[in-house]
Amino acid sequence: MGAESRSSVSPPGRQYWKIAVVVLGVTIVAATGLYHLARLYVLNEAERNIQAVLLTHKGLHRYIQEVMHPVFYKLRAEGLVADTFYAPEIFSSTFIVRNQHKAYNEERKAAGLEEIYYKMAARNPRNPVNKADALEEKLIRMFNENKEIKDYREIVRIGDKDYLFVALPFLVNQQRCMKCHGNREDAPLGLQALYPGLGGFNEKAGEIRAIESIRAPLEQQYFLLYIVFGSSFAGLLVLAGLLFFNGRLRGMVRTRTHELEQEVVERRRAEEEVRQVNEELENRVEERTAQIAAANKELDAFAYSVSHDLRAPLRGIDGFSLALLEDYGEQLDETAKGYLGRVRAGCLRMGELIDDMLQLSRLSRGEIRQQEVDLSGMAGEIAEELRRGAPERRVAFEITPGIRVFGDAILLRAVLDNLLGNAWKFTAKIEEARITFGRKEEGGKDLLFVRDNGAGFDMAYADKLFGAFQRLHSLQEFAGTGIGLATVQRIIHRHGGTIRAEGEVGQGATFYFSV
Amino acid sequence: MILLVEDNPDDEALTLRALKKNNILNEVVVARDGVEALDFLFGTGAHAGRDLALMPEVILLDINLPRINGLEVLEKIRANERTKLLPVVILTTSNEERDKLKSYTLGANSFIRKPVDFLQFSEAIRQLGLYWLVLNQSPPLVKV
Ligand code: HEC
Repeated sequence: MGAESRSSVSPPGRQYWKIAVVVLGVTIVAATGLYHLARLYVLNEAERNIQAVLLTHKGLHRYIQEVMHPVFYKLRAEGLVADTFYAPEIFSSTFIVRNQHKAYNEERKAAGLEEIYYKMAARNPRNPVNKADALEEKLIRMFNENKEIKDYREIVRIGDKDYLFVALPFLVNQQRCMKCHGNREDAPLGLQALYPGLGGFNEKAGEIRAIESIRAPLEQQYFLLYIVFGSSFAGLLVLAGLLFFNGRLRGMVRTRTHELEQEVVERRRAEEEVRQVNEELENRVEERTAQIAAANKELDAFAYSVSHDLRAPLRGIDGFSLALLEDYGEQLDETAKGYLGRVRAGCLRMGELIDDMLQLSRLSRGEIRQQEVDLSGMAGEIAEELRRGAPERRVAFEITPGIRVFGDAILLRAVLDNLLGNAWKFTAKIEEARITFGRKEEGGKDLLFVRDNGAGFDMAYADKLFGAFQRLHSLQEFAGTGIGLATVQRIIHRHGGTIRAEGEVGQGATFYFSV
Repeated sequence: MILLVEDNPDDEALTLRALKKNNILNEVVVARDGVEALDFLFGTGAHAGRDLALMPEVILLDINLPRINGLEVLEKIRANERTKLLPVVILTTSNEERDKLKSYTLGANSFIRKPVDFLQFSEAIRQLGLYWLVLNQSPPLVKV
């Protein structure tokens, strides 16, 4: 029973396999999500670095052009600076910014950070350092052709590292820029001397002639760590949750299984108790049956010896009375002969009583063999026999046809024999005798009855009718041993039925019975 | 010769009287229990040395007998070569079906219930004598 109830819970192996699949799935989803998040984060970081650098550069450009240049022009106008003096180190914003950036990268390197590539790339550079490469030249052309494009960005791989590459169009040429980038003849003398050739001259106002091109590394050193850690963490979390709930579930199942097992055990115990009680009852019934059988056997033996031992002396009394009458009859007077006649009559009557008593006891002991019995047919046969026995009598028999019951044919025959025989006997003195056997419904039950219009009886003695050896009529009136109705009642009771009598003196009697 | 096996002296006297009344004058040997009856039939015990050529024409056998009952006696009679063909009439007070059945099963030739009314009994004895002693041909003597 235990193995059975336990088999309903899935084996732990399959459970863990499922958990593994779920955990793996969650880990993969988490890793994918984290990968995208981390990528966004790294991009943002690079973007911010670039922006910071560019804004710094922009500020520096503005400071040089808006603060330093006016001071320089003023000093020259006041003659404090020679007209011919020019030094990019203190005049050119791009020069200053480039070199400032160079110094900035050195500082970054010293601080253990990766350098941020920065370049002012021009188509027509004054300083060859600023010469745009193929890509940069293309980008400058693109920006000039599509003024609405404000930037260009791309992730490029250099060696085994990814970089965010950003290119922005630099300032549009304005009129004031023309002083140094317009005609070479108009440019300051120092400038002309310092930058031979036409690079950086003959620019047109409104044109973008340079881009700021910058490249910041995508900080990937924690990238993998984030993903691995994050997804593993998610996986572990789910695993822990699953194991926890699984454990609780298994606990619940185990508790319930235990309860069920307990119930089964209790049911078994109850069944066992019922079985034991049954067995005891059966034993008791067997015992009782054996006792009854033994009692029956004793009764049998008793009846047997009664039939032998009680009749033998009777036979002696009768036989010797007759011997007296026959052998010494002439020596006896009539009175003595009369007495001997009474002795003999007593013997005969006692013999009948013994025989009836034995029949009564035999009827009460035998087994009842259940079968369908045609009582109407039986009653007809009995009526025929009675008529044959006394053909001189005129008796009307009314027998309802088709009355059939379940019972012992021999015993039921004895019932009808007695009841119809009684009716026959007690109508002997009636002119128009009528005997009825029929069926009647009373209180939803089928009652059978035997009715006659004979001597009847006083209802006051109705309960004495069925007692053994009880007689309501004198022997002179009607012969009989008084045992017939006791036999009838016993047979009816043995069939589980009831019997009662109704009557009135001189008005006949009716016996109602059920089988 | 008639062998009457009867333990009740009243019944014995009445039976003898009934036989006489009906002019059955054969010799009647009375055995008062089963052992005595068997001793007589087989020439043993008190009847040792009896001439076994003389066998009864009919045996009237009561069932309720002291020592060995009538049914056992009948069984022994039927089991013995010398006596197995002797007519046996069961004469008993009992009216039990089983006694009747047992008697016939064991090979009784007749079963007569002794009625209380002596006249009836006498009539039964008369018919019995008529049949078994007059009409019936005795079986040939069996030489052993
Ligand atoms: C006082 C003179 C002067 C004025 C005004 C001036 N620049 Fe320059 N610019 C220079 C010099 C000198 C250089 C080269 C510096 C170096 O060696 O990188 C230069 C370099 C540049 C460069 C780098 C590319 C190259 O040709 O080497 C750009 C772009 C540039 N200037 C744009 C401008 C714009 C736009 C303006 C107007 C807002 C402007 N400049 C105003 C002097 C000037």
